[in-house]
Amino acid sequence: MRKEVVDSMAMKRALTRITYEIIEQNKGIHDVALVGIKTRGVYIAQRIGERLQQLETATIPVGELDITAFRDDQPVNAVQAPMAYQLDFDVAGKRVILVDDVLFTGRTIRAALDALMGGGRPQSISLAVLVDRGHRELPIRADFIGKNIPTALQETIKVSVTEVDGHDGIEIIN
Amino acid sequence: MADRYLILEDGSAYLGEGFGSPAVSTGEIVFNTSMTGYQEIITNQIYHNQIIAFTQPTIGSYGINHDSYESILPTVKGVVVRDVASISTNRQRRWSLDQYLKQQNIPGISHIDTRHLAKQLRASGPMKASIVDVADAHAFDQLGATVLTNQQVAAVATPKPFPNPDTGLNVIVIDFGLKHGILRELSKRSCNVTVLPYTATTEEIINLDPDGVVLSTGPGKPQDLPDSVLTMIQNIQNRVPLFAIGLGHELFAMANGAQIMKLSPEHHGANHPIREVITNQIIYASQGQGYAVNPDTIDRNKLITTFVDLIDGTIQGLRYRDFPAFSVQFFPDGAPGPTETRDIFDEFVESMQQARGPVW
Repeated sequence: MRKEVVDSMAMKRALTRITYEIIEQNKGIHDVALVGIKTRGVYIAQRIGERLQQLETATIPVGELDITAFRDDQPVNAVQAPMAYQLDFDVAGKRVILVDDVLFTGRTIRAALDALMGGGRPQSISLAVLVDRGHRELPIRADFIGKNIPTALQETIKVSVTEVDGHDGIEIIN
Repeated sequence: MADRYLILEDGSAYLGEGFGSPAVSTGEIVFNTSMTGYQEIITNQIYHNQIIAFTQPTIGSYGINHDSYESILPTVKGVVVRDVASISTNRQRRWSLDQYLKQQNIPGISHIDTRHLAKQLRASGPMKASIVDVADAHAFDQLGATVLTNQQVAAVATPKPFPNPDTGLNVIVIDFGLKHGILRELSKRSCNVTVLPYTATTEEIINLDPDGVVLSTGPGKPQDLPDSVLTMIQNIQNRVPLFAIGLGHELFAMANGAQIMKLSPEHHGANHPIREVITNQIIYASQGQGYAVNPDTIDRNKLITTFVDLIDGTIQGLRYRDFPAFSVQFFPDGAPGPTETRDIFDEFVESMQQARGPVW
């Protein structure tokens, strides 16, 4: 059973509100950088980046992060992929906003923190997610939330973005 | 139908035919370019003590229905049209425009060259006008001697608080002469609304434990309101999400240091493209404004411009940088349409939900 809980209009509003909240909490966008977690987090980060640039007429670095090599569900003795620095800007001293589509157990975010810290010492890292669905397994919380969607464990949250899926929306699949 | 005259402060007179009430009345004349929505426009309290001239040539063709009132009793001083439809059809029709204006004791005048009148008013700006039976020197003397009140808000805003209960978020609406569309949109989103008079103090508002505050639309010049209103806005805006509309938007801007200027020509209609800055999207909205925020006086360390009118560049929306307080100059409730701005109410509700935190 699939149910659309957020349509494209509501998703657009959520991204707009997150953008304003980023300006509110960072007192502007000085030193702010966005880092999207692959796959859909990247597109969400780009959209937030575009909105910030519209409002502040300044360029904001938007990077993408592949956390595959940092996951904690790989065998311990597996050959590690080279942990090359992936971003094309320096995070040292930046106020990094990590962006992902769904916040669930928190393990993806932990991996992303590892991947990010390898590149330097950011001034701060905060987290923006489109959906917080609960069921955390690590002490991690989001600073900017598009929508809180309480879910049961066996349900799946599917975030669609036009760039990958052809349309925008958030569905609960049971 | 009897011959009547529309006379203007500058000495010009238009011969027309009376309809609606046979009363003689005087007010400030403005023109409205909306193609539809005359019922909402006539009942909108921003037109308190004003005579509305419609540029759409035929007015009244769908009558008056019971879903489209924007106030309980309209307080416009007159309706000026090219043609008033003598036959009106609509499945919701209750009365003809003529019958309605008779009931409400509002004079109408038809067969006016509204195109010429609109051009004249574009050049001159709004001025005093009367709908009279005889356009003689005496009538012009009377018109010239009439002093129009600047206490419009006090005349149309509620003197006492009243509730509009529902089961959702607790919203306080500060009434400067609100249009029903604001309450309608909040009701659709299950907001538990309390309407307070515009004289409400910070303490009175906070004691009601609001999740958010709305500053309503209203008539007149924002500078004519007491400074206590600005103090109230300054004290409220950083405590709960704030959404200001129309006159409320002008007051929100003033409370944050901006100045208000007279707008010429005024915006009364629904045909201006407006750019939403954050998404670069173009929208259309219903407008009714005689004043605008002076863009040169905005403190950019405090306010962000969120909507811009593409015809003359006037500011149509503002937002505070440090907390969720935002405003729009146009009417986002879409009564009359376009309705594409209604989701600003969703934005407000989502801001309140976010400020309250998650439900689990």
